[in-house]
Amino acid sequence: MLINLDTADERPLYQQIVDEVRRALVLGTLAAQDPLPSVRALATELRVNPNTVQQAYRELERAGIIYSRRGQGTFVADPGTGERALLLRDVAERALKDARRYGIEPEELAEAVLRAAQLHPSTPSTASVP
Amino acid sequence: MSFPTLPTRLDGVELAIQTRAVTKRYAPDAVALDGLDLQVPAGAVYVLVGPNGAGKSTTLRVLLDLVRADRGTASVLGISTTAQPALVRAQIGYVPEVVDTAYGWLTVGGLLKHHAAFYHAWDWAYADALCKRLGLRMDERFRALSKGGARRVALVTALAHRPPVLLLDEPTDGLDPLARDDFGGLLVDHMADAPTTILWSTHHVHEAERMADHIGVLREGRLLLQAPVDEVRGGLRRYRAEVPDGWAGAPGLNGDVLVRARAGREITWTVWGDERHVAERLSASGATVRDAGRLSLEDAALALLRAGEAA
Repeated sequence: MLINLDTADERPLYQQIVDEVRRALVLGTLAAQDPLPSVRALATELRVNPNTVQQAYRELERAGIIYSRRGQGTFVADPGTGERALLLRDVAERALKDARRYGIEPEELAEAVLRAAQLHPSTPSTASVP
Repeated sequence: MSFPTLPTRLDGVELAIQTRAVTKRYAPDAVALDGLDLQVPAGAVYVLVGPNGAGKSTTLRVLLDLVRADRGTASVLGISTTAQPALVRAQIGYVPEVVDTAYGWLTVGGLLKHHAAFYHAWDWAYADALCKRLGLRMDERFRALSKGGARRVALVTALAHRPPVLLLDEPTDGLDPLARDDFGGLLVDHMADAPTTILWSTHHVHEAERMADHIGVLREGRLLLQAPVDEVRGGLRRYRAEVPDGWAGAPGLNGDVLVRARAGREITWTVWGDERHVAERLSASGATVRDAGRLSLEDAALALLRAGEAA
C-alpha cells in the first residue's frame, strides 16, 4: 500500500491516511480481505506518531472499511456500496474549495473540467510524484 | 498591535513533565526563564520551539538538574528534579545540544560501556541494533567521528536504556538527510515499543511535524502558546480576502490578528480564532473571503513568534 502524506495539506495526517486507504480501495490496489500493515510498521514507514496511525485505523474500522482480528492483524472488509460516491464527493469538495480561492463559480469549474478532459484525455497527474 | 489571548495551559490531563513558575537568571539582566509553566502530557510528543536564547536548552537542563532554577519547581513523572535528581535522570534519555567530547579517546563501544554502567535498564541488544541502524562501528574512536557521528552516539546512549522520557535538544543537528530520516524511524519504533513522552526542542519544526501532538512556543523565557497541535492548526488560519476600495478593516477582529499583509485589494490575515466567527466578521466588513487555509506547524510557530516580537 502506497501512502502519500503532506504536512501542508488541509487535512490532518490521520485523515490523509484514511483517505489514502479509501483511494486504494476504489483503485483496486487494495481488495477485500487484504491485510493492512501493523500500526508500528506503517508508523515507521511514514515517520508519523503511532497514535496517528491508530486513530486512522480506528476511523476506518468505525466506517466498516477495515476490521481487526485479535492476534492476526487488520484486514480490508468486504466493500460497501457507497465507497466510490464518497470519494467522489471528497474530491469535488476539495476542487470547489480551490475554485473559491480563485473566485471561480461551481458551474464554471464543472465546464472547465470537462473541457480540460477533452483536450488532454487521461493525462496522468504529476502533482503527487516527488 | 494587541496580542491575542492564546492557550498556554494544559490542565486536566496527566502530565509527565511539569515546571511551576520556574525562573532562571544567568546574570541580573540575563533572564533565561521567566516564570515558566511547562506542561508535557504523558505520552505526548511535545515540540518546543523558539528563537536562540529563548530558554529551550535551559528548560531541558533544569529538568535534568544540570541547572538549578532560582525560583519555582520542576518534576518528571511526579519526581522532584531537585529532591531526587539521580532518580529523575534514570527515567530520561537526553540528547544534549552540544555533545560532550570529554571521553574522546574511547571507542564507541567503550563509551557505550561507560554509559551502560549508569543505567540498570541498559539493553545491549537494543544498543547494538541502534548502532547498526545508524551505521556506527563499535571500534571507531569517538574523537575521530564527525559531528553527525558524535550525535548518533548520543542518540544511542539516550535510547538504549529504554527511558520513558526523552529530552531532545536539537537532536538532528549535524545529521545528514539520510541519518535524519533514520533518526525519525528510530523514534517512531521507540514510541511504538513502549509508552514514551518526548520533549523535543528544535529550530526545525517541520522535522517534528509528523510526530508532534503538542507544541510550546517559547520566547524570552515564557510560553507564548502551549497547546495540542490540532488546536493550533484549527485555531490559527490564514485568510485571503478581497476588500473594497477604502476598506477600513474588520472591527472586533483586530485583537486576534497575528500577521497582516495587503497588496492592492487583496489582504492576507493570519488570525487566531474560530473560523466561522472570523469569516463572518470579515464578510460583515465588506470583504470577500476566498480562502481560510491552515498553516503548517512551522508557519504557525513563525507567525506567533513574529507577532510576539511586534507586541
